[in-house]
Amino acid sequence: MIQIEHLHKTYRSGFLMKPKLALKDVSLHVEPGQIYGFIGPNGAGKSTTIKVLTGLLNFDSGKVLVNGISPRDVKSRRFIGYSPEQPYFYDYLTGRELLQFYGKLVGLEGNLLNERITWALQLLHADKDWIDRRLRSYSKGMMQRVGIAQAILGKPKLLILDEPMSGLDPMGRRDVREAILELNRDGVTIFYSSHLLSDVESISHRVAMIVDGRIVREGTVDEITDSCGIEYHVRTRTAIAAKDLPEGVALAGHPQEVICADDAARDRLLRYCLDNGIAVEKMDHKRPSLEDILTEEIARADA
Amino acid sequence: MQTLKHIGIIALNTFRESIRDKILYNIGLLAVGLALFSIVLGEWSVFDRAYVIKSTTLSVMSLSGLLISIFVGISLVQKEIQRRTVLTLLSKPISRATFIVGKYLGLLAVVAVHLALLTCIYYSILFLTNSEPTVSLLTAIYLIFWELAVVIAVALLFSSFSSTILSALFTLGVYFAGHLSNQLLEQIRFASRMGEMGDTSTALLEKLAVVIHAVFPGLYRYNVTSYVVHGLALPDMYLFWNTVYAIGYVGVFLAIASWWFSRRDFL
Repeated sequence: MIQIEHLHKTYRSGFLMKPKLALKDVSLHVEPGQIYGFIGPNGAGKSTTIKVLTGLLNFDSGKVLVNGISPRDVKSRRFIGYSPEQPYFYDYLTGRELLQFYGKLVGLEGNLLNERITWALQLLHADKDWIDRRLRSYSKGMMQRVGIAQAILGKPKLLILDEPMSGLDPMGRRDVREAILELNRDGVTIFYSSHLLSDVESISHRVAMIVDGRIVREGTVDEITDSCGIEYHVRTRTAIAAKDLPEGVALAGHPQEVICADDAARDRLLRYCLDNGIAVEKMDHKRPSLEDILTEEIARADA
Repeated sequence: MQTLKHIGIIALNTFRESIRDKILYNIGLLAVGLALFSIVLGEWSVFDRAYVIKSTTLSVMSLSGLLISIFVGISLVQKEIQRRTVLTLLSKPISRATFIVGKYLGLLAVVAVHLALLTCIYYSILFLTNSEPTVSLLTAIYLIFWELAVVIAVALLFSSFSSTILSALFTLGVYFAGHLSNQLLEQIRFASRMGEMGDTSTALLEKLAVVIHAVFPGLYRYNVTSYVVHGLALPDMYLFWNTVYAIGYVGVFLAIASWWFSRRDFL
């Protein structure tokens, strides 16, 4: 559904048009039917990539195809629904008028348009009184729901959402999460960026992590977290002196707790404990979360 | 067919947006006030009252239309970009040229409605003051409309790549150059014939005046107030050829605006 290969994008700013490389050799493949999470810190290149996909930004080099068509071609946007980060709309319209406007632009009219608006509003739990009020009185959460509603009106094959959960309260986040899952069950491919990594972990089939314009990790959540190895936290009955700790084992802060960096370090520690009669009280394995990995990657990029 | 439909939808939305713009009402009220003031001017003036009312009101129509074309025209595209509404709009299956043409037609419709309302007021004033309301005056209003059609295209062209203030200045520049280019060329040629300048400077200035005359739209063609006020006949096919001329310039300006706009990145 989305094919990005060796994408480079440079921004030029200031009087001297100083170049800044925003995307460096980005490659991504999103298969039809997937929910694909796109994560990274602010300014990493998430929105830039999304805007390239929607044809809002030109790019320097590389290959970008959306459903087999270049985003430079207007036809590619027939299959896309897009909701930008912090969507802004014509505030002199009501929510319903706005949806009618965008619905007409994707070729809907008459009863079909009204039916589609009702469907989209119900899906996002936005079929409330406020939808007939002017947009200038809307909260951020209401805007976000209207933004996603306009994106799905045309029943797109690919839904691209830039930070769809931002500005939403916990109920709103749940509604959007459920809407994403339901659309996906209906066969819609979803590509979205988010800062809320717990949401990304829970609903994404695959995830790409972008830091400083480069894709640093890509795969399923399990593939990404497994690739970083598993730590073991071991609690013993008696404390082990730091100088006696086997290789790959470190103190965890608590005098009776140590951390083994990998399987081999764990085995060395257990052997040491058996040889020296030290009782093991408990042992937990800890897989790093996406947040841990992202933090590590940001620190690496900064270094 | 789909493109025409999209242009219509964007034009209608632009029309709805523009008629909510406070600046439009300020200019409209000013125009009505000045049109009514033309009655007083007609009484005070040493010239024929009907002549003063007609020429003043036509000037008011032209000036108020110009203010709307420039001040609403330059903000049309900039507002979409600054408020980031352009992001959602251009992610739909519409080309950037469709967007530009839709915006243009929306504002052109606003100007047409403005002129139509002023025309009603204009004719009411002429009837009430017994100032010979003739149908031929519509000729002048028709040409004002086409002049403004060109000015809106110029405003849209500049606003597709420069800031609001610069766009206003550039558009005003083109407006004045378009009105004065013919006079400038004639003056230089006259001075040259009279031998008031050196050969080299005359040749250079004449070339410059020819370039200005050729490049800038000749907006002086659309000011026929003196003809219609004095009941003089315009040359044959004048309206037709000047309509074609305006459409030609509008087409070129919108094509350049669309091309430039399609190269833009929207952050």
